[in-house]
Amino acid sequence: MAVFRKKQRAGGDIPTSSMADIAFLLLVFFLVTTVFDEEKGLRIVLPEESEEVEVSQKNVYHFLIQPDGMVAVRMGEAQNETMVTAQQVGALWAQGFETNENLIAAVKTHPQAPYRFMIDVLDQLQGAGAEKISLQVLEN
Amino acid sequence: MMEGGFKRKNKAASEIPSSSLADMAFLLLIFFMVSTVFPKERPRRLDWPEADATKKLDEARKDILHVFIEEDGAIYINDMPVPPAQVNAVIQPIRTENPQLVIVLRADRDVTYQHVAGVMTELQEARTVRLTFYTSLEQRVQRERR
Repeated sequence: MAVFRKKQRAGGDIPTSSMADIAFLLLVFFLVTTVFDEEKGLRIVLPEESEEVEVSQKNVYHFLIQPDGMVAVRMGEAQNETMVTAQQVGALWAQGFETNENLIAAVKTHPQAPYRFMIDVLDQLQGAGAEKISLQVLEN
Repeated sequence: MMEGGFKRKNKAASEIPSSSLADMAFLLLIFFMVSTVFPKERPRRLDWPEADATKKLDEARKDILHVFIEEDGAIYINDMPVPPAQVNAVIQPIRTENPQLVIVLRADRDVTYQHVAGVMTELQEARTVRLTFYTSLEQRVQRERR
Protein backbone atom coordinates (compact mmCIF):
# COMPACT_ATOMS: atom_id res chain seq x y z
CA MET A 1 0.00 0.00 0.00
CA ALA A 2 1.33 3.32 -0.98
CA VAL A 3 1.82 5.68 1.89
CA PHE A 4 1.96 9.36 1.27
CA ARG A 5 4.08 11.14 3.69
CA LYS A 6 3.44 14.75 4.36
CA LYS A 7 6.51 16.74 3.52
CA GLN A 8 7.78 18.99 6.23
CA ARG A 9 7.59 22.53 5.02
CA ALA A 10 9.27 25.55 6.47
CA GLY A 11 6.78 27.84 8.21
CA GLY A 12 5.47 30.46 5.83
CA ASP A 13 4.30 32.92 8.48
CA ILE A 14 6.24 35.98 9.50
CA PRO A 15 6.77 35.78 13.25
CA THR A 16 4.73 38.54 14.86
CA SER A 17 5.46 37.85 18.49
CA SER A 18 8.19 40.52 18.65
CA MET A 19 6.14 43.11 16.77
CA ALA A 20 5.05 44.86 19.98
CA ASP A 21 8.67 45.00 21.18
CA ILE A 22 9.81 46.62 17.95
CA ALA A 23 6.94 49.09 18.00
CA PHE A 24 7.64 50.07 21.62
CA LEU A 25 11.34 50.43 20.87
CA LEU A 26 10.54 52.86 18.06
CA LEU A 27 7.99 54.60 20.25
CA VAL A 28 10.52 55.14 23.03
CA PHE A 29 13.04 56.42 20.48
CA PHE A 30 10.59 59.05 19.21
CA LEU A 31 9.50 59.99 22.74
CA VAL A 32 13.10 60.57 23.77
CA THR A 33 14.33 62.36 20.67
CA THR A 34 11.34 64.62 20.02
CA VAL A 35 12.11 68.20 20.94
CA PHE A 36 9.20 70.58 20.96
CA ASP A 37 10.64 73.88 19.83
CA GLU A 38 9.37 76.54 22.19
CA GLU A 39 9.25 80.19 21.23
CA LYS A 40 10.79 82.29 23.94
CA GLY A 41 12.92 85.33 24.42
CA LEU A 42 13.01 88.97 25.44
CA ARG A 43 10.13 90.95 23.99
CA ILE A 44 10.39 94.58 22.91
CA VAL A 45 8.26 96.88 20.82
CA LEU A 46 10.13 98.93 18.25
CA PRO A 47 8.99 102.50 17.67
CA GLU A 48 7.42 103.35 14.32
CA GLU A 49 9.93 104.83 11.91
CA SER A 50 8.37 108.31 12.01
CA GLU A 51 7.68 108.14 15.73
CA GLU A 52 10.23 110.42 17.33
CA VAL A 53 9.58 111.62 20.83
CA GLU A 54 11.54 114.39 22.49
CA VAL A 55 12.52 113.45 26.01
CA SER A 56 14.17 115.50 28.67
CA GLN A 57 17.79 114.51 29.25
CA LYS A 58 17.23 114.41 32.99
CA ASN A 59 14.88 111.44 32.47
CA VAL A 60 17.40 109.42 30.50
CA TYR A 61 19.65 106.81 32.07
CA HIS A 62 22.47 106.00 29.63
CA PHE A 63 24.01 102.54 29.46
CA LEU A 64 26.93 102.52 27.04
CA ILE A 65 28.05 98.98 26.23
CA GLN A 66 31.73 98.69 25.35
CA PRO A 67 33.27 96.00 23.09
CA ASP A 68 34.73 94.24 26.17
CA GLY A 69 31.31 93.93 27.83
CA MET A 70 31.79 96.64 30.43
CA VAL A 71 29.01 99.20 30.70
CA ALA A 72 29.59 102.92 31.12
CA VAL A 73 26.67 104.32 33.09
CA ARG A 74 25.66 107.97 33.00
CA MET A 75 22.58 109.54 34.53
CA GLY A 76 20.86 112.30 32.55
CA GLU A 77 22.96 115.35 31.83
CA ALA A 78 25.77 114.35 34.17
CA GLN A 79 29.19 114.23 32.54
CA ASN A 80 30.81 111.63 34.74
CA GLU A 81 30.51 107.99 33.73
CA THR A 82 30.86 104.96 35.96
CA MET A 83 32.10 101.67 34.59
CA VAL A 84 30.11 98.68 35.81
CA THR A 85 29.54 95.08 34.77
CA ALA A 86 26.30 94.04 33.05
CA GLN A 87 25.20 92.20 36.21
CA GLN A 88 25.15 95.48 38.17
CA VAL A 89 22.86 97.26 35.73
CA GLY A 90 19.60 95.91 37.18
CA ALA A 91 20.34 97.19 40.69
CA LEU A 92 21.44 100.59 39.35
CA TRP A 93 18.25 100.91 37.31
CA ALA A 94 16.09 99.99 40.31
CA GLN A 95 17.83 102.67 42.39
CA GLY A 96 17.36 105.31 39.70
CA PHE A 97 13.73 104.35 39.08
CA GLU A 98 12.94 104.79 42.78
CA THR A 99 13.86 108.46 42.58
CA ASN A 100 12.45 109.15 39.12
CA GLU A 101 9.52 107.15 37.75
CA ASN A 102 9.77 108.75 34.31
CA LEU A 103 13.18 107.28 33.73
CA ILE A 104 14.01 105.90 30.28
CA ALA A 105 16.86 103.45 29.74
CA ALA A 106 18.97 104.36 26.71
CA VAL A 107 21.06 101.31 25.84
CA LYS A 108 23.79 102.23 23.38
CA THR A 109 25.89 99.35 22.14
CA HIS A 110 29.24 99.66 20.41
CA PRO A 111 28.93 98.33 16.83
CA GLN A 112 31.82 95.91 17.42
CA ALA A 113 30.48 94.58 20.73
CA PRO A 114 29.11 91.03 20.66
CA TYR A 115 25.33 90.91 20.64
CA ARG A 116 25.23 88.90 23.90
CA PHE A 117 26.46 91.92 25.88
CA MET A 118 23.42 93.92 24.75
CA ILE A 119 21.20 90.96 25.74
CA ASP A 120 22.87 90.82 29.18
CA VAL A 121 22.01 94.48 29.81
CA LEU A 122 18.49 94.14 28.37
CA ASP A 123 17.98 91.06 30.55
CA GLN A 124 19.00 92.99 33.66
CA LEU A 125 16.75 95.94 32.77
CA GLN A 126 13.71 93.77 32.02
CA GLY A 127 14.40 91.74 35.15
CA ALA A 128 14.36 94.99 37.16
CA GLY A 129 11.02 95.94 35.63
CA ALA A 130 12.15 98.55 33.10
CA GLU A 131 9.52 99.18 30.43
CA LYS A 132 10.82 102.20 28.57
CA ILE A 133 13.99 100.99 26.87
CA SER A 134 15.63 102.55 23.84
CA LEU A 135 18.15 100.51 21.83
CA GLN A 136 20.73 102.43 19.85
CA VAL A 137 24.15 102.07 18.31
CA LEU A 138 26.93 103.75 20.24
CA GLU A 139 28.54 106.42 18.10
CA ASN A 140 32.10 107.38 18.80
CA MET B 1 -26.84 5.35 39.73
CA MET B 2 -25.61 8.84 40.14
CA GLU B 3 -22.59 9.96 38.26
CA GLY B 4 -19.92 11.25 40.67
CA GLY B 5 -17.82 13.29 38.26
CA PHE B 6 -16.49 16.75 39.11
CA LYS B 7 -17.39 19.45 36.70
CA ARG B 8 -14.75 21.95 35.92
CA LYS B 9 -15.95 25.42 36.73
CA ASN B 10 -15.80 28.03 34.04
CA LYS B 11 -13.23 30.50 35.23
CA ALA B 12 -12.88 34.03 33.96
CA ALA B 13 -9.69 34.48 31.97
CA SER B 14 -7.01 35.82 34.31
CA GLU B 15 -4.62 37.00 31.64
CA ILE B 16 -4.52 40.51 30.31
CA PRO B 17 -5.22 40.32 26.59
CA SER B 18 -2.09 41.35 24.79
CA SER B 19 -3.15 40.71 21.24
CA SER B 20 -3.89 44.40 20.63
CA LEU B 21 -0.67 45.63 22.28
CA ALA B 22 1.14 45.94 18.97
CA ASP B 23 -1.79 47.89 17.49
CA MET B 24 -1.76 50.36 20.37
CA ALA B 25 2.00 50.77 20.18
CA PHE B 26 1.84 51.40 16.44
CA LEU B 27 -0.98 53.86 16.93
CA LEU B 28 1.09 55.86 19.42
CA LEU B 29 4.14 55.53 17.19
CA ILE B 30 2.29 56.90 14.18
CA PHE B 31 0.94 59.77 16.31
CA PHE B 32 4.44 60.77 17.37
CA MET B 33 5.85 60.34 13.86
CA VAL B 34 3.13 62.55 12.40
CA SER B 35 3.10 65.19 15.13
CA THR B 36 6.87 65.58 15.42
CA VAL B 37 7.98 68.74 13.72
CA PHE B 38 11.62 68.80 12.88
CA PRO B 39 12.64 72.44 12.95
CA LYS B 40 13.60 72.79 9.32
CA GLU B 41 14.51 76.42 9.76
CA ARG B 42 17.42 75.58 12.01
CA PRO B 43 20.01 73.77 9.95
CA ARG B 44 22.80 76.02 11.14
CA ARG B 45 24.73 75.80 14.34
CA LEU B 46 23.95 78.91 16.33
CA ASP B 47 24.49 79.59 20.01
CA TRP B 48 21.79 81.69 21.62
CA PRO B 49 22.48 84.27 24.29
CA GLU B 50 21.20 83.41 27.75
CA ALA B 51 18.86 85.58 29.80
CA ASP B 52 17.13 85.23 33.17
CA ALA B 53 14.14 87.28 32.03
CA THR B 54 13.36 84.90 29.13
CA LYS B 55 9.60 84.62 28.66
CA LYS B 56 7.51 82.19 26.65
CA LEU B 57 5.95 83.70 23.57
CA ASP B 58 2.20 83.15 23.39
CA GLU B 59 1.72 83.88 19.72
CA ALA B 60 0.19 81.67 17.05
CA ARG B 61 2.80 80.00 14.88
CA LYS B 62 1.36 81.64 11.77
CA ASP B 63 2.13 85.07 13.23
CA ILE B 64 5.79 84.30 13.88
CA LEU B 65 8.59 84.94 11.43
CA HIS B 66 12.13 83.86 12.23
CA VAL B 67 15.08 85.97 11.22
CA PHE B 68 18.45 84.31 11.73
CA ILE B 69 21.75 86.12 11.97
CA GLU B 70 24.84 83.95 11.87
CA GLU B 71 28.11 84.73 13.61
CA ASP B 72 29.56 86.20 10.40
CA GLY B 73 26.52 88.45 9.92
CA ALA B 74 24.78 86.35 7.23
CA ILE B 75 21.00 86.81 7.41
CA TYR B 76 18.43 84.09 6.72
CA ILE B 77 14.69 84.46 6.71
CA ASN B 78 13.03 81.05 6.83
CA ASP B 79 16.04 79.32 5.29
CA MET B 80 16.41 81.88 2.53
CA PRO B 81 19.64 83.89 2.54
CA VAL B 82 18.81 87.58 2.39
CA PRO B 83 21.28 90.43 1.81
CA PRO B 84 21.19 92.96 4.69
CA ALA B 85 19.70 95.70 2.52
CA GLN B 86 16.89 93.42 1.29
CA VAL B 87 15.39 92.52 4.68
CA ASN B 88 12.82 95.30 4.42
CA ALA B 89 11.80 94.22 0.91
CA VAL B 90 11.29 90.61 2.03
CA ILE B 91 9.41 91.37 5.24
CA GLN B 92 7.17 94.22 4.10
CA PRO B 93 4.79 92.07 1.97
CA ILE B 94 4.52 89.51 4.80
CA ARG B 95 3.80 92.30 7.28
CA THR B 96 1.15 93.81 4.96
CA GLU B 97 -0.54 90.43 4.71
CA ASN B 98 -0.39 89.83 8.47
CA PRO B 99 -0.42 92.94 10.69
CA GLN B 100 -0.06 90.70 13.77
CA LEU B 101 3.40 89.60 12.62
CA VAL B 102 5.98 89.03 15.34
CA ILE B 103 9.63 88.82 14.40
CA VAL B 104 11.72 86.40 16.41
CA LEU B 105 15.31 87.48 15.96
CA ARG B 106 17.54 84.47 16.38
CA ALA B 107 21.03 85.88 16.34
CA ASP B 108 24.21 84.12 17.34
CA ARG B 109 25.44 85.33 20.71
CA ASP B 110 28.81 86.36 19.23
CA VAL B 111 27.62 88.31 16.20
CA THR B 112 28.70 91.94 16.37
CA TYR B 113 25.94 94.37 17.30
CA GLN B 114 26.22 96.33 14.04
CA HIS B 115 24.60 93.41 12.17
CA VAL B 116 21.73 93.22 14.66
CA ALA B 117 21.22 97.00 14.56
CA GLY B 118 21.15 96.88 10.74
CA VAL B 119 18.37 94.27 10.80
CA MET B 120 16.42 96.27 13.39
CA THR B 121 16.57 99.37 11.20
CA GLU B 122 15.28 97.33 8.25
CA LEU B 123 12.47 95.95 10.42
CA GLN B 124 11.46 99.46 11.41
CA GLU B 125 11.39 100.45 7.74
CA ALA B 126 9.10 97.48 7.11
CA ARG B 127 6.88 98.85 9.91
CA THR B 128 7.36 95.72 11.97
CA VAL B 129 7.27 96.76 15.59
CA ARG B 130 6.78 93.55 17.52
CA LEU B 131 10.16 92.00 18.05
CA THR B 132 11.50 89.25 20.28
CA PHE B 133 15.18 88.54 20.84
CA TYR B 134 15.38 84.77 21.02
CA THR B 135 17.22 83.74 24.18
CA SER B 136 17.59 80.60 26.19
CA LEU B 137 17.03 80.48 29.89
CA GLU B 138 20.25 80.55 31.89
CA GLN B 139 21.31 77.10 33.10
CA ARG B 140 21.22 78.30 36.71
CA VAL B 141 17.61 79.51 36.38
CA GLN B 142 16.60 76.31 34.58
CA ARG B 143 17.86 74.27 37.54
CA GLU B 144 16.05 76.52 40.04
CA ARG B 145 12.74 76.31 38.16
CA ARG B 146 12.87 72.49 38.05
